[in-house]
Amino acid sequence: MAEKFELNEVEVWDGNYATSQALRQAQVDVVAAYPITPSTPIVENYGSYVANGFVDGEFVMVESEHAAMSGCIGAAAAGGRVATATSSQGFALMVETLYQASGMRLPIVLTVVNRALASPLNVRGDHSDMYLGRDSGWIQLDAFNSQEAYDLPLCAFKIGEDMSVRLPVMVHQDGFTTSHKAQNVYPLDNDVAYNFVGDYVPVDEMLDFTRPVTHGAQTEEDWHYEHKAKQHKALMDSRPVIDRVLAEFKELTGREYKRVETYMMEDAQIALVILGSSVETAILAAKQLREEEGLKVGIIAPRCIRPFPYDLIRDAIDNSSNLKAICCMDKSAPGGAMGMLFNEVSSAAYTTNTRPLISNYIYGLGGRDFAIDEAKRIMKEQKAHADAGHITTNIQQFSGLRGPKLGFYETRRS
Amino acid sequence: MVEIRWHSRAGQGAVTGAKGLGSVVATTGKQVQAYALYGSAKRGAAMNAYNRIDDNPITNHETKMYPDFVFVIDPALAFTDDITKNDKPETKYIITTHLSKDELIAKIPALQDKVERTFVVDCMQISLDTIGRTMPNTPVLGAFMKVSKLYELDFFLDNMKKVLSKFPQKIIDANMAAITRAYNEVK
Amino acid sequence: MSLQGNDNRGIRELGAEKKVGWDEVTQGVALNSFVGESENSAFLKAEERNYNDFNSYTATVASWRIIKPVYNRDICIDCQNCWIWCPDTSIISRDKQMLGIDYDHCKGCGVCVEVCPTNPKSLLMFSEAKDNNEALAGWPVKEKKVKN
Repeated sequence: MAEKFELNEVEVWDGNYATSQALRQAQVDVVAAYPITPSTPIVENYGSYVANGFVDGEFVMVESEHAAMSGCIGAAAAGGRVATATSSQGFALMVETLYQASGMRLPIVLTVVNRALASPLNVRGDHSDMYLGRDSGWIQLDAFNSQEAYDLPLCAFKIGEDMSVRLPVMVHQDGFTTSHKAQNVYPLDNDVAYNFVGDYVPVDEMLDFTRPVTHGAQTEEDWHYEHKAKQHKALMDSRPVIDRVLAEFKELTGREYKRVETYMMEDAQIALVILGSSVETAILAAKQLREEEGLKVGIIAPRCIRPFPYDLIRDAIDNSSNLKAICCMDKSAPGGAMGMLFNEVSSAAYTTNTRPLISNYIYGLGGRDFAIDEAKRIMKEQKAHADAGHITTNIQQFSGLRGPKLGFYETRRS
Repeated sequence: MVEIRWHSRAGQGAVTGAKGLGSVVATTGKQVQAYALYGSAKRGAAMNAYNRIDDNPITNHETKMYPDFVFVIDPALAFTDDITKNDKPETKYIITTHLSKDELIAKIPALQDKVERTFVVDCMQISLDTIGRTMPNTPVLGAFMKVSKLYELDFFLDNMKKVLSKFPQKIIDANMAAITRAYNEVK
Repeated sequence: MSLQGNDNRGIRELGAEKKVGWDEVTQGVALNSFVGESENSAFLKAEERNYNDFNSYTATVASWRIIKPVYNRDICIDCQNCWIWCPDTSIISRDKQMLGIDYDHCKGCGVCVEVCPTNPKSLLMFSEAKDNNEALAGWPVKEKKVKN
């Protein structure tokens, strides 16, 4: 029986510590990990909980992130509740095994502390690693602050382990901005948190010797396609389960999360679509602009990146009858395309009645500060688009970048 | 909103100090942020840590701030860092130095017009005398209590003891002595 | 050879199984080997286990074979070399006594013949069409070592 870890009603935790406490309270059976900045403290803390008897789990130190996720897959197939953490290059090395985990329908929780991908080498945060995972078949949730870095992993276990889902779940937080920023966090009582997550119920576990089972079988074109289609359906169908678990979490804690968070969208004329810790800064900027200039700015923040909430994005646009212009803010080098948010939001918006103008900003790469003044400048630029009735700049631009103005693609729509 | 910027070297405990301050403040119902920018910096490299304190939840994640207080907890950084960056007319400076206030200001042009807002305390000597090694992070908080009048010294000491409760009693006592001395000696 | 009446070894051609749609495939490609629970399967002989259609035991690949090994009990010394080396577990052996070939899973690779140490060999390759008794009747005799 594990030792009791005493908690205060209010703790001052950074995102990493908050996440490690959630893993402890969920009583994870196995953490196989290869630590990497900035997510190191998550698994370091979990290791100390194991060593000090606060959790009856196993910590497996492996030789790479590829081995870390492989170990997690083995432990999950064996029938345990499994989690780990990674960032950046480690995440990239893990990618091959991420597809295995989702294809094998193992509800592993991977807490990702978002960090830029080299080259150039950089430990600071952007969303390159988060975007790299978006076709891997995992559910991806995004925490905007330390409190959410504690709350969302608890929800992630419950979502992934739901019998109709059985898929792995990533919980993202921003490197340093969230992971290393201590803020007020209101943890749940240990028993309350565990009871919310619930006992782990294994499926087709290898340690059930009454039903010997093969995992990781090979198929060719005769079976592969059907299995991938079934997997995709499970991912798409996880949406109501995510909604239900988040609703149950609100019931328990009063803290409300949705697959798409919307702020001040009711009367918004322009909107920013944005992820991560920048959401909170953008809300602050929008409030200031509303006060200072009466500019009606709203914020749309996808909490759930996969399955992408096309449904709720469309609702958010359709329910904002004054909405004229949207700016999608992508914190990842786009690699010869528009940013991910621009592409996803555009496809959701195409079937709306109003079809607002949509433009794209790349920002914050490698941890470049996202400043309130810059957010306001971008918002005012959207107002200019709205007034002109067409996009007055290049469709894709770069925010906070030194050197001559950089942009691509001009609008042909007037 | 009260905003604090720490100027420190990696290893001098600025992050721990900022988190400790945050933990004490949070017990009084206020909202806090404590964060740092260090990344892959090595021990001894110049770095900044930051605090924000407010009555309402803090949603600003911009790193840059216009600080109400600047803590310089390494004596040399007062000369080599841009400690008056983003200065406001009311920004107060608490600087670790063995020099007198007049001697220090005479050497730092940027502080010449900020005499009334500059405070000095020798956190290095205080921590050497009390804790036994140079650990300027807790004494500067004692000086901060005096300068800011945020909390009574006794209230702060009691809450700081709880924050440090995982340490041996000897360490806790030494830190309490360091905070108290800095509170009394800051000028 | 079939070892008991209800043995379901090789009861279907490999690949002849029903190609079900995405809605009927197993979750996560997890493939159970047995029908229902099978607590003590580790202690049962293959022919006693209740293998299901996800296990290759119930499938036959006999049609893949062009040449086949024939086993001669009269010469075999039960050394188990063929049992160890066979890549398709198609040598049937019980209590270290060689019984014969599993012709449902043998692909005719000839490894068993290569590793057989007896003189003459206790396993030899013949055309798939050749009758086993006929093959045994014409078995070669012991080769004498030729001195130089």
